[in-house]
Amino acid sequence: MKCEWVQENILLYIYNELADDARYEVEQHLGRCPECATELKAARGFHATISKRGVQEPTPNLLASSRMRLQEALETAEQGGLWRRLTFDPASWLRQVRFSPALAAVIFMVGFGGGIGAMYKMTPQGPIAGPGPGPQAPTFSEASITGIRSVTQEPGSNQVSVKYDTVQTQEATGSLNDQRIQQLLLFAARNNYSSGVRMDSVDLLTQKPDDTRVREALKYALQYDTNPGVRLKAIEGLGSFVKDDTSVRDAVLRALMTDGNQGVRTQALLLLQPVKADGLVRGALQHLAETDQNQYIRSQARSVLAQLPEID
Amino acid sequence: MAGQGSRIDDTMLIREAQRGNRAAFEELVRHYDQAVLRLALHLTGSEPDAQDIFQEAFLKAYKNVGSFRFECSFYTWIYRIVTNLCLDHLRKRQVRKEDAPVTTDASGEEYSLLDQVPDGRAGANPERDLMRRQLGARINGALEKLTPRERMVFELKHYHGLKLRTVGEILHTTEETAKNTLFRATQKLRGSLADMR
Repeated sequence: MKCEWVQENILLYIYNELADDARYEVEQHLGRCPECATELKAARGFHATISKRGVQEPTPNLLASSRMRLQEALETAEQGGLWRRLTFDPASWLRQVRFSPALAAVIFMVGFGGGIGAMYKMTPQGPIAGPGPGPQAPTFSEASITGIRSVTQEPGSNQVSVKYDTVQTQEATGSLNDQRIQQLLLFAARNNYSSGVRMDSVDLLTQKPDDTRVREALKYALQYDTNPGVRLKAIEGLGSFVKDDTSVRDAVLRALMTDGNQGVRTQALLLLQPVKADGLVRGALQHLAETDQNQYIRSQARSVLAQLPEID
Repeated sequence: MAGQGSRIDDTMLIREAQRGNRAAFEELVRHYDQAVLRLALHLTGSEPDAQDIFQEAFLKAYKNVGSFRFECSFYTWIYRIVTNLCLDHLRKRQVRKEDAPVTTDASGEEYSLLDQVPDGRAGANPERDLMRRQLGARINGALEKLTPRERMVFELKHYHGLKLRTVGEILHTTEETAKNTLFRATQKLRGSLADMR
């Protein structure tokens, strides 16, 4: 009976799952019962055999790309359903109901203004110009824009002209601080068919990387733009955020691991140097130092790793 | 496993995430994403499948974080979501009777998971490498013969070192049931691998 109980518990003994008193009893019994001691040896042998198949750590590349995919999905995902929103924040719901008529009136006025002002030209307002000529200024929806024809900046000023098509080509001029100009540039950076226009837009947007929408557009351009010049501009614009913004760091890390252009990868490697102690960055550098096909990247990765203190 | 300090951090982050703060949720993800991906990769043996499970698990968590009531740790909660997805995956795969040791990477190429484990030992030789791969294939084959639930309990206990009590919590069962499942799984594996010792 005792042997049966011990043999039933040998597995838990090996996994350190027995309470102290049970553990003590098992050990006492094993000291005087050769049959159970043999069973313990066999169980330990099996444990060692099955442990030879270790747990594979995900590669830094796999982890980085999984994080990127998740971040993109989270941008469009919504928390909970309508029921939850009604239940959890009734005050906000009531506020929305209270202001609904006012909101409807504002939408009507903006729509009316937009209908009249299909063509408009803004006057320059200096380097820190306000958001527009007044609260009734027309806005446009991205859905009505069919394409951006050109983006130009007046030399020596921060005035930007964006020529864009709706049903017919239109032009908006204003400061880089102008919300509408920014909206057009953001649209152009993601959607335009002309890589030259995307390049100009990304180049201008890099002057305002503090804006989270701009940073998102730059990350998008770095990851998805087909033109290496645009990606290079985007990565340059993101440089100052690699240290503090982990999503930017991941985007740059992904570019280092997967971008087809060596210039973009070299720039990524340069930007990641100050954060080389980050475990993910360190893992990626080790991977590159050993396996990358590009000799320059391999040697650079080795040299960055050499600057790191040894970790036991 | 998550310590006391990290539990406190998690609590604050969860509360923020429940208020709709996405950055807080992303920070929370960072605490567990590597462990989640490791588990999914080990159980599925496929990078694309592991990525899909990773993605689905955290999206589910994000959508349902509002209903998290702090009755268990976030760690247990997210593992519960992941293990459910992995169990579904294993069940489907059992029906399809896929070849376990061979896996696919993101580009659809087949390779053995064990081939990806770098052999850092000095003097590693091809003969030893081949033996190691054959051993891995035998173990994978034996693991594939377990039921999805036995496989899950064994993975969580043996390869991920969780306490049986936690395994029970994750799988919505008692510690005693987890213990019995572990016994069964071990007996089956010892039978399958009897000639290897």
